Amino acid sequence: MPKRRDILAIVLIVLPWTLLITVWHQGAINPLLAARKGKSRSCIYLGGFHGYDSGSAAKWYATQKPCSSENNKDIVEVVHTEYVYSRPPPWSDVLPTLHVVTPTYSRPVQKAELTRLANTFLHVPNLHWILVEDSPRRTPLVTRLLRETSLNYTHLNVETPRNYKLRGDTRDPRIPRGTMQRNLALRWLRETFRSNNRHSQPGIVYFADDDNTYSLELFEEMRSTRKVSVWPVAFVGGLRYESPKVNTLGKVYGWKTVFDPHRPFAIDMAGFAVNLRLILFKPQAYFKLRGVKGGYQESSLLRELVTLNDLEPKAANCTKVLVWHTRTEKPVLVNEGKKGFTDSNVEI
Amino acid sequence: MTTKQLAKQKQTNNWFACLVVSLCISSDKLVFCPMLCVCVCSRRVAMATRMKLKLKTVFVLYFMVSLMGLIYALMQLGQRCDCAEHDMPKDRTISRLRGELHRLQEQMRKAEPTKLPHKLAVKPAQPTIYIITPTYTRFVQKAELTRLAQTFLHVPQLHWILVEDSPHKTPLVSGFLASSGLAYTHLHTPTPRDRKLQEGDPSWLKPRGAEQRNEGLRWLREDRRGQPGADTQLGVVYFADDDNTYSLQLFEEMRGTQRVSVWPVGLVGGMRYERPVVEGGKVVRFHTGWRPSRPFPLDMAGFAVSLKLVIANQDACFDGDAPMGFLESSFLQGLVTMDELEPKAENCTKVLVWHTRTEKPKMKREEALQKQGLGSDTAVEV
Repeated sequence: MPKRRDILAIVLIVLPWTLLITVWHQGAINPLLAARKGKSRSCIYLGGFHGYDSGSAAKWYATQKPCSSENNKDIVEVVHTEYVYSRPPPWSDVLPTLHVVTPTYSRPVQKAELTRLANTFLHVPNLHWILVEDSPRRTPLVTRLLRETSLNYTHLNVETPRNYKLRGDTRDPRIPRGTMQRNLALRWLRETFRSNNRHSQPGIVYFADDDNTYSLELFEEMRSTRKVSVWPVAFVGGLRYESPKVNTLGKVYGWKTVFDPHRPFAIDMAGFAVNLRLILFKPQAYFKLRGVKGGYQESSLLRELVTLNDLEPKAANCTKVLVWHTRTEKPVLVNEGKKGFTDSNVEI
Repeated sequence: MTTKQLAKQKQTNNWFACLVVSLCISSDKLVFCPMLCVCVCSRRVAMATRMKLKLKTVFVLYFMVSLMGLIYALMQLGQRCDCAEHDMPKDRTISRLRGELHRLQEQMRKAEPTKLPHKLAVKPAQPTIYIITPTYTRFVQKAELTRLAQTFLHVPQLHWILVEDSPHKTPLVSGFLASSGLAYTHLHTPTPRDRKLQEGDPSWLKPRGAEQRNEGLRWLREDRRGQPGADTQLGVVYFADDDNTYSLQLFEEMRGTQRVSVWPVGLVGGMRYERPVVEGGKVVRFHTGWRPSRPFPLDMAGFAVSLKLVIANQDACFDGDAPMGFLESSFLQGLVTMDELEPKAENCTKVLVWHTRTEKPKMKREEALQKQGLGSDTAVEV
């Protein structure tokens, strides 16, 4: 009997302690024991993003910074510093993406043009730059430039066959320049965004040449495009500016231009933007390559996408000029001579 | 006491020892304190007679108290519902939204006409870059200034001194500067008629912008005179034409100028680039294809002067009557000698600025229309 009692006593001692230990290991007792300390939460803000070559998905990285829960100014200051000085603005999930298609080709002013274009694009949020080179291979100059800008980009290339290229350097308006490059970009867009459903991030496609000048307001105007939006362009068609004619109802009914105003779409490449959904909805719409008269290249694409009635006029009902069709002079390199005076290893 | 009782006492002592040891092992405060009290009391009690019965009571008491303690702990566990894992996505969303909000607010503030940009997290001791740009009215003026401003907006501590070649300030430039978001000074001075390029003159015939640059220098010197202090003399002066192309790295290179710094310029002088030749960290000669015998065969965009030097030499300015290509030399001659030049851009091997020129847009149809009185709406600013 005493032994049983002893056993009972042992059990009575051990049982609560085992219960305690099992509960202890689950960590339930810890918060009760720990003193009331402020938890240090880490604040996450979304930084820039890597550019990506065709085929791979865009990656964006988040940086963790420790910050106290009361002081919210830390997040703001970090975002400020990252945005203002040579970094693109943080990617927003709400704004539609602007896919800017730029064909380019190698010439002495190429790096300069792309540099100042990049300086402009660095101010625009949610911009995706699709740069298509007219060359058999991607040149290291452009590759390096794109990597250094820290913009969100896609680098493509396709060479225009010799018989399509301009004879010498004279401006022959019958042969459209950059057509194959723009078509490649359209095909890339269709391939990349084909699998996504309708509720993916909306996008706007804009064809920007590398020698034009764009105001920042223009990009915000085109962001609200539903189908195709249009606006005036300066220095085209031999005029101060060309613009669509807008009636009092806010609909486009004609074109205020002198050079062949009876074209279906008498507008310059820089004067319109298309919603990505429309591009994906009409997969056969491309720029026509052959048999296109001068000034009809834009019409060859737009005619398959919209009618005149569906055009949305922007820039205060087409009364403000937000894009200039500037052209850069070809630099006269007379002093280079036959062999080249300057070191060809130095990139310009 | 009998031996039996002694044995019992020993046993009791053992039990108490066990209790105390087990209590010491665990640091559970809730169970510890009552147990300690119970132990102490029961020890005294156990010392009395009829130990066996008291021991049982002690154990029962102990069991009950510790059980109650455990139940209390479990109750606390049940009530607690804040989990550390669920907070993270919420925090993430909140900080992202806050970042978005502040960015949009910043954009709104930028859109308002302000002369000075808001003071952001910038080191105050960073030298300011004063950019003197002469400009004149022509079709592409607004376009050129627009893309120039888009470049300058990326550069911290920059002050743009825009000097118009005009007898009065034009509304186009005034409106443009007000909405640019940059820190600026808007000046104007007309070029005398005999120095002005006439219609049809090639661009290289007469040096351009000399009066405007001198006006910019004059304003700068006057402005600095009114602000004494060693800190205000910290700065760099750069002459930027409105049609060139500048990379952002250039401005960081020139910021550390002590006297006069130089670098290559692309697409100038009829060559791919012009540059100073550097040997042993010093400029020994200039690599240029056009008149290399000039004292300083540089382009205007190829050098920057420290503000201290500009203020110290009050008379240094551009000579508008200098022969073509000697404009830069007329300014630099009085300021510095060739061996004092500071080479930048990796010992003058990288091209960070290009002397691009914009074509004059063809306005044949516009002119024809204007003769008929049907020109495009002049109210629309281009």
